[in-house]
Amino acid sequence: MSIVRAKSLFFVLAGLWLVAAPAVAAELPPLTHVLTAVPTGRPAPALKLTDLDGKLHDLAALKGKVVVVNFWATWCPPCRREMPSLERLRRALPDVVVMAVDVGEDDDTVFAFTGTLNPAPEFPLLLDLNSAAMQAWKVKGLPSTFVIAPDGNLAYRAVGGREFDNPELIDQLRRLAGKK
Amino acid sequence: MTAAYRLFALPLAVCASLAQPAVGAQTPHGIDADTGAQTWKAHSHGVALSLTQILPDQARAFYLNRGFSAEAAETYATACVFMTVLRNDAAPGTVGFRLADWSLTAAGNARPPRPVDDWLAEWRRRGLSETAVIAFRWAQFPPEQEYEPGDWNQGMLSAGLPPGSTFDLTARWQVAGKTYEGELSDVHCPR
Repeated sequence: MSIVRAKSLFFVLAGLWLVAAPAVAAELPPLTHVLTAVPTGRPAPALKLTDLDGKLHDLAALKGKVVVVNFWATWCPPCRREMPSLERLRRALPDVVVMAVDVGEDDDTVFAFTGTLNPAPEFPLLLDLNSAAMQAWKVKGLPSTFVIAPDGNLAYRAVGGREFDNPELIDQLRRLAGKK
Repeated sequence: MTAAYRLFALPLAVCASLAQPAVGAQTPHGIDADTGAQTWKAHSHGVALSLTQILPDQARAFYLNRGFSAEAAETYATACVFMTVLRNDAAPGTVGFRLADWSLTAAGNARPPRPVDDWLAEWRRRGLSETAVIAFRWAQFPPEQEYEPGDWNQGMLSAGLPPGSTFDLTARWQVAGKTYEGELSDVHCPR
């Protein structure tokens, strides 16, 4: 890592500590694992964004798979809490694709934050710099998560933080993927 | 304050007369041992509501780190900001709300919290970067939302009152066409 990059990450990490401060004061509500079924036949909106490495990801190319799309930001307290459980979900169900869409932040900020997580996410972290994807998906608050069925239709949604590695939720997604 | 903002007073009064009264009542408010920030909570008709003070230093730090100018960060940090949580724990159906239907009563005057769109217009007038405006928008409690059981949001909400002011908040939401209320009384703006 270059000195410039290291310095940049230092300031980003310091900033993350500061921006997390308001959440510390609040008693944090418990995370649940309930997903709401979406009425059948509603296709997922398009999603085509680059990740932290500049690689393009297109949801349309993932037809045939169950895909979990999580909208988040590093400063959003419930997003920060649920992020490790998304990685544990990915590890529990390797056939399910997990993608997290960060709103309005640059790659340094997202990279620095995810480095503090345990486990750190190994799924694609996409950047929605101008919040256009958030608006296309009609997201009203963070975090919001959508599960897309193999046929490309929306299957489930969740508003607010969840425990994505809860056994019941994992079974729910396993069944959606057609695996017992 | 915009004229449209003031015009909410009458619809609020009508809503108030038709709504199911709050039940379950407010719990005693808590104080964070480290920061001194106070929290007010209520649980009503299966919906949980809480307001936690965001201290001016915390709000300043947050927005300065999101690209706000010192003046803009100061304006928001001293506008009576709370971390707000609303959650559908066990309501008898889908909970739908608009902040425009909420009523904040201070010194005998009732009005909704200051709308997010008002703030966004102010930041654009002041020439804040689009990145800063986007961060502000998504850090706020949603102006409207629908919650299925288990759904919730946590976001910032500004009462738009001077530091140290006190107010009562009546939150309103609909389930299957019926309006319900939750109340928090004697809430103190952070200093």
